[in-house]
Amino acid sequence: MLEAIIEIIIKTAVIMAFPLGALPLIIHVERRGAAFIQKRVGPNRVGPFGLLQPLADVAKFMFKEEVHPSHVRPFFYSAAPLIALVVALLPLACIPIMGPFQFFDRTVYPEVFRSDMGIFFAFAASALGSYGILLAGWASNNKYTMLGALRACAQMVSYELSLSTAVVAMIFIFGTNDIHLMVDWQTGYWFGFIPKWGVFVQPVAAMLFLVGIFAESNRLPFDLAEGESEIVAGYHLEYSSMKFAIFFMAEYVHMIALSALFIIMFFGGYSVLPGLDLIPLSNPFILPLLQVTSLTIKIALMIWFFVWVRWTFPRFRYDQLMNLGWERLLPLGIVNLIITVLFVYFRNQ
Amino acid sequence: MAYDILLTIMTMVFALMVVFSKKTVVAAFSLLMTLLSIAMIYFQLGTVFLAAIQVLVNAGAIAILFVFVMMLINLEQFQNNRERSKSKLIISILTTLIILGVFSLIINNNIEVLSAVNISDNSMKTLFDKLFTEYYLPFEMATVLLLAALVACIVITGSEKGIKQEQEKLQENLNE
Repeated sequence: MLEAIIEIIIKTAVIMAFPLGALPLIIHVERRGAAFIQKRVGPNRVGPFGLLQPLADVAKFMFKEEVHPSHVRPFFYSAAPLIALVVALLPLACIPIMGPFQFFDRTVYPEVFRSDMGIFFAFAASALGSYGILLAGWASNNKYTMLGALRACAQMVSYELSLSTAVVAMIFIFGTNDIHLMVDWQTGYWFGFIPKWGVFVQPVAAMLFLVGIFAESNRLPFDLAEGESEIVAGYHLEYSSMKFAIFFMAEYVHMIALSALFIIMFFGGYSVLPGLDLIPLSNPFILPLLQVTSLTIKIALMIWFFVWVRWTFPRFRYDQLMNLGWERLLPLGIVNLIITVLFVYFRNQ
Repeated sequence: MAYDILLTIMTMVFALMVVFSKKTVVAAFSLLMTLLSIAMIYFQLGTVFLAAIQVLVNAGAIAILFVFVMMLINLEQFQNNRERSKSKLIISILTTLIILGVFSLIINNNIEVLSAVNISDNSMKTLFDKLFTEYYLPFEMATVLLLAALVACIVITGSEKGIKQEQEKLQENLNE
């Protein structure tokens, strides 16, 4: 019993330290990446290559005075950032960062909550992500925040549909809903050199999922929830200092969780990257280590992709966003799903 | 055991808050919390799939529409809409009788009929095998019940008289 509790505490600590520890680095990459794409210099004064700039920002956020407007609804105003962060961290509970491994005499599963329905749990938790934003927008008692929250919420609910069709299609292809079995399916090579990744089987589903991630995490080109030029800053307009920082953290954690799910579905999850699998497995701990490294590299590339897209595409107009979601992506996802189901059915005959 | 009792109390308290809270948005969020606590009860019973679907569909999609609509239209102007009438009295007596009937069923221990599916069997395959063969008729009946509830909602709220009354009230509020 005690052993199980200690195991869960260690797993929770690792799974929470992984994204929260990576956050300052991601913010740094975001800023320097923006500067690189726009041919600027970017923050480069604090520490080597400006690496300590995020830490200085954290210190600033900590010591900044918290402005608590008098016209807000106090309970919900304080609860909203916490709800946003907790809900963003929840999906990580069922995302494995490596395969099951032998630790002395027992098999350890790396995810906090081990279940063969883990993938559903992760998507269910990520579906709750809009509540934090909605609550913040409403509790701030301000028309701009309200508009931002309603936009964010409508956008998240709309794009969740096409994202779900992609997920269901992939579950049909894999024939399982266990994340470890999905990754097993994607381990190995076709013709000896193409990795057996889901993206090569279902490119349409991968595209739908990728667009869905951008909409779900409210990133450009879908950041209508913030829309600085129209509604000032959207749902977090009335928040300052640490409360604002928590919203910021929630957005990035949500991004990491969704990228991890995308990688599990379409890029082989924690399966070892081509090239890294040439390293001989002389020690039983080398394989888990290689798996964590592979997953980290894949997530880092995804984050770079997020930054790249952010500073390349302009923001969509709101009607364009809704048309894209409901009239293009959803029918495409349903057609893709039907074709996949028929294909899997006749293959199994 | 203590956890079960806690979850049950939580569900009941939030369900009562849906009905009795004065602010509509608080009621909507209590509805969300009720749905989430029911999901936790499923989870506690070991049916992770049902719990996840409950969160995904009911809490993630349906409750959000409630919250959305309640924030979009300012419902607080219709708060003092609690006049008494004969039909309301009859309906509340009928509802009480139905609830008492359900309670007497539970007390008489006739609830084995409801737990015919072995819920400890967690796999999706067994669940849907049962649902689409043995329990197909009750499943379809439930959908018919939902349809009937939908039609009833439209009839109650969308009658021409009701719409006129609402419009008059809205006009009065605007004139003020």
